[in-house]
Amino acid sequence: MIEFQNVSKTYPNGTHALNNVSLRIDKGEFVFIVGASGAGKSTFLKLIMHEETPTSGEIVINGNKLSKLKRRDIPYLRRHMGIVFQDFRLIEKMTVFDNVAFAMRAVGESTATIKKRVPYVLDLVGLKDKMKNKPSELSGGEQQRVSLARALVNNPEIIVADEPTGNVDPELSHEIIELLNEINSMGTTVLVVTHEHELVREFNQRVITIDKGRVISDNRGSRRYSGYETEDYGDEDYSLSYSEYEEDMDLTDDELTDDYSGYAYDDDEPDNPDVVVVPDDQA
Amino acid sequence: MKGFGYLVKEGFKNVWSNRIMSIASICVLISCLVLTGAAALFSLNVSKMVEEVGESNETIVYIQPGYSQLEAVYVGKEIEKVDNVASAQFYSKEQAFEQYRKTLGDSLFSRIEDRNPLPDSFIVVMHDLSKYEETVAKIQQIEGVDKDTILNRKDFADKLTRISNLVTIISIGVVAALLIISLFIIANTIRATMYSRRFEISIMKSVGATNSFVRMPFLVEGMVIGLISAIIATGALALVYQGVGMVVENAQSMFSFIPFTDVLPYVAVSFAVFGVFVGFCGGFLSIRKYLKMEGNEILGW
Repeated sequence: MIEFQNVSKTYPNGTHALNNVSLRIDKGEFVFIVGASGAGKSTFLKLIMHEETPTSGEIVINGNKLSKLKRRDIPYLRRHMGIVFQDFRLIEKMTVFDNVAFAMRAVGESTATIKKRVPYVLDLVGLKDKMKNKPSELSGGEQQRVSLARALVNNPEIIVADEPTGNVDPELSHEIIELLNEINSMGTTVLVVTHEHELVREFNQRVITIDKGRVISDNRGSRRYSGYETEDYGDEDYSLSYSEYEEDMDLTDDELTDDYSGYAYDDDEPDNPDVVVVPDDQA
Repeated sequence: MKGFGYLVKEGFKNVWSNRIMSIASICVLISCLVLTGAAALFSLNVSKMVEEVGESNETIVYIQPGYSQLEAVYVGKEIEKVDNVASAQFYSKEQAFEQYRKTLGDSLFSRIEDRNPLPDSFIVVMHDLSKYEETVAKIQQIEGVDKDTILNRKDFADKLTRISNLVTIISIGVVAALLIISLFIIANTIRATMYSRRFEISIMKSVGATNSFVRMPFLVEGMVIGLISAIIATGALALVYQGVGMVVENAQSMFSFIPFTDVLPYVAVSFAVFGVFVGFCGGFLSIRKYLKMEGNEILGW
């Protein structure tokens, strides 16, 4: 699904953001990317989204080498991904419905499809009754769920969440990750960039730790999703139930690298991306 | 393209949400179109006049002041003897005076009636217009003919043509300058819209909107501005043209203007095509920069 082969990224100002990173994320996985501010997380996400290109090495997404990707094909690559940002990036003057619909309009979906699909996705994130509200009337957690609905609405294969809980009340952070877990259980690959170790511990998923541009640990959690179902968004009443989720807290503190603070040196931008990458069935 | 209707609607919205800048663009584009149209209509009318003159065969020969009417008639006899002259019809200064009075109104002439400043003249018709120059030269030799003031419509037409050419050159320059200004202003208007919509553009790009899709509303915005300008400019030109036409025809009855209704379809269509084209180019130019950037760069995050 996503493969980094000896990827290095050096910015024109000389910053070595990533240094010879090799890793592989398979279809249907749920992966936390952790690292201190400036460790290279943002660069990692930008490379996946093809907003940046590696200085050396190769990135393969769905079997396509990004170095071979033509400029005009970049939009189609991104349609396989849904992105969730830390700051939600919702359009204030639009309703919740229109914010989600916007992502569908941007890829040229018909109004009929939009009218059918958007309520379904909003229902999925538990916001069906807030469809006509403006983002400003919602709590941070709700806004992030709108953002998640927008990322999901085009049915991507990968959800990339860049610090999805960064602007959400701590008690609601759990809820957001839980929702991502739920999405993951429907077969969507989920990539969550975060620095909230509590959450990471709690969910016991695969954790890739980046420090100074290198992957310093890659711990497979015990909750790794193995089965795969095709998401069906027909007329079925599909509601998320948190109770279905089993707490699985096998991961001990030792398995997590907490000691990566104080290395803020590389990225030129705030390092709090909330990106959800959804796997690409349409590839 | 799927979602085309949506994109067009967004383009119209852009024009409205950015109306101050839109109005500025529209005004500049209107000036550009009206000037272009006026210059074109001027040339058209001049060509028409020149054509009419070429067909008519009348040369006015003035008699030197101080000659009595009888002496003038003798001069006329001499003129008729010149080769190639078919006829020379006497046109007295009283007749000329009456003619002017009819055209320009009584009040101006009542006080100078006893001091008629106009000369007597002959309207000369020639057999063969190709020998025009030599015939005029022979007439000029005749005693009593005011040789510096032989006035014929051909001279007049030549002068008009020269003026028309000059106007064409000047208007090409002015229109070119205005065109660049229009383009610049439209591009800036659209850039302003784009700036206020950069957030949406960045989201569109992150969800995988193609460049042509992102571009479309801005092209529509430019084309709408161009089309609105074309419609207003057509109306404005009609008013200007009819106003000028009336004044000129009152003062000078020799030529009639081409009626505006005859040229209206051409004016309207070419304005629309030109306006939409300029708007399109403006939109195209201004979005180029944004399309090269990624979401984070657009927002400066």
